[in-house]
Amino acid sequence: MRRIVSSLVDGRGFDILLVGVTMLFLLVMAGLPLVYNVLMSFQQVDMFTLGAWVRPWAGWDNYRAVLSQPEFPLVMRNTAVFVFGSIAGQFVLGFAFALFFMLRFPFAATIRGLFLVSWVMPGLVVGAIWSWMLAGDYGVVNAILSGMGLVDRPLFWKSDPGLSIWAVTVANIWLGLAFNMLLLSVGLAAIPRDLYEAAELDGAGAAQRFATITLPMMRSTIGAVLALGLIYTLQQFDLFPAITEGGPANSSNVAQYWAWQWSFQVFDFAKGATVSVMMLAFVLVAAAAYVWSTRSEVRG
Amino acid sequence: MKLSTIRLWAGTAIAGMALSGAALAQEPVTLVIWSIDGAQGRPGPTDTFSREFDEMNDDIVVEYRALQFDEIVNETLRAYASGNAPDIVSFDNPDFALFSSRGAMLDITDMVAESDAIDPENYFEGPLNSVMWEGRMYGIPKYTDTIGVFYNKDLLEAAGVEPPRTWAEFEAAAEKLTDPAAGVYGATFSARGNEEGTFQFLPVIQMSGGDYSNVNTPGAQEALARMKRMIDNGWASQDVLTLGQYDSTGTFNSGNAAMAISGPWELDRMSEDAQFEWGVTLLPTFEEGGARSSALGGFNLGIMSTTEHPEEAFRALEYFAEQDDRLFPEFNYLPARNDIELPSSGNPAIDEALAVFQEQLQYAQPRGPHPDWQQISKAIYDAMQAALTGQAEPEAALAQAQATIDGVVN
Repeated sequence: MRRIVSSLVDGRGFDILLVGVTMLFLLVMAGLPLVYNVLMSFQQVDMFTLGAWVRPWAGWDNYRAVLSQPEFPLVMRNTAVFVFGSIAGQFVLGFAFALFFMLRFPFAATIRGLFLVSWVMPGLVVGAIWSWMLAGDYGVVNAILSGMGLVDRPLFWKSDPGLSIWAVTVANIWLGLAFNMLLLSVGLAAIPRDLYEAAELDGAGAAQRFATITLPMMRSTIGAVLALGLIYTLQQFDLFPAITEGGPANSSNVAQYWAWQWSFQVFDFAKGATVSVMMLAFVLVAAAAYVWSTRSEVRG
Repeated sequence: MKLSTIRLWAGTAIAGMALSGAALAQEPVTLVIWSIDGAQGRPGPTDTFSREFDEMNDDIVVEYRALQFDEIVNETLRAYASGNAPDIVSFDNPDFALFSSRGAMLDITDMVAESDAIDPENYFEGPLNSVMWEGRMYGIPKYTDTIGVFYNKDLLEAAGVEPPRTWAEFEAAAEKLTDPAAGVYGATFSARGNEEGTFQFLPVIQMSGGDYSNVNTPGAQEALARMKRMIDNGWASQDVLTLGQYDSTGTFNSGNAAMAISGPWELDRMSEDAQFEWGVTLLPTFEEGGARSSALGGFNLGIMSTTEHPEEAFRALEYFAEQDDRLFPEFNYLPARNDIELPSSGNPAIDEALAVFQEQLQYAQPRGPHPDWQQISKAIYDAMQAALTGQAEPEAALAQAQATIDGVVN
């Protein structure tokens, strides 16, 4: 008895206890809903059997039905545009800002901190603001563009099927920019200064220093930022109801918003679950990439 | 909420004891009532009447909860699935059949037959249909509304245009009234990709001889082609694809659109915001004197089948129905009743408009009722958006909608 207690207080038992509690928490809070969701995608779900586990089995019917929707290819294309557009925009601009703020000028750190405002703002608020800015007839973006003489008639960012997905992507880039910049700044700060000094003495130019010191030293940070960006972008939901509602005609609809529409607009919960399960596969890839790129941080 | 309930119970109990001396006080019955009234900060009919009903009945305690428009269906579904459903709930009329068709609403047909306060004959046909399912009555219409065409009298006069009677005239008028230099579109409407889009487009399908289960009519194709032309030519803003009715009418009120398809819920705001003379005319038809139709809006009230106090809940419904004549003077809602004369609002423009909407209501047809209305509605607004963005020709878009609807209806 005493041995068990002492093992629990200080020893292997304690480790197992910690691991056990964590696993239990994960299982209940993440595992169960996940299993429930996967299960639901193989069942016929009526709104009044929402609370049940046992429901009529549907096999692959839900998957076949989702895949044969006429808007399916469009939604997949939009999801790809949104995810890769957002990540590329956030990363490139975030890296540029991070490098810029590494220059020592007055208030650099303070101004960098102010950038976080975009990150702490709720997505719905950001969405509402961008929605006004991008409005076709009276939006400020069009006013600026026509003031600069770039367009001669207003661009209908939210209502033009060729532009709508970009309207949401631009808003999402703005939203995620600060987060990318901050993570990349931390990575940049960790690179020893003397490396640059030594390279400079040896005659390496700015571009050379960037390519041979900054990029290689930042490899794991960049991997983590990109993987997190992928996960956050696939999770981004608030901007869609606030800006375009996935429209017009699904031209800005993405998988995560589509899943919500299935479940809570049309009340076809099984198809909503099916779309989520399909997304899960992509997120798993991103999660694996994230774990792989941060593996060096975990040791210790 | 809880504490005040207990206090009320205690108060009622003490009052009861005081009245009946030594007799045991009867425990009051608690009724839970949900609606969207009062959720926007402004008092509405159901929250007001619930409070009154609570105060005037010592044997009943009302727990009222205001929910947002977007939440009430989902919240009620969850509550019903977990056994915590309210006793009385108020739904937008196309959502009502979702519940009544699955036995979630209480069949009140027999209670209504006995009732002095509620008589089905007194309701307009459209609203009444939306609470019926397979010949039985599952609730009462709370109020109703519909849509017509608002027009800017000053702009029409300046352009020498008469209020349109047919859709062809509507398009021609929009063309003449458009003035890009002044930032004025000829017309505005809502072709949004949600229920609002269907609300405005289904009447056009109906007056072309179709209905929600038969949408691919030549008239509907013609209407979509016309709407697309209006957008492409700049006679209507491309943003009608994303604007809800409230925002769409806002552009009319600010003078940026000469005509607007919208409803009586706008009358108050319009009389305050619009700096011009305005009027309302009936929704145009395909030919002069052709078949009329219009959208039927408005909420219903019903008792959920899980209630433990059907009699008390029905008394509450009766009280609500008895207050229908207060809907317009106090809340600017149109009662869904043919036996209530609307008093003058004191504003001639509003009175004139109301007379038109009262006439329009006779042609208003409910959406559904169908248990899977949301899927049908999505097929309709998806088709409209696909045609208006040029993703598909009107005929192909409507054929796609028809295929989806066939799968749902049959």
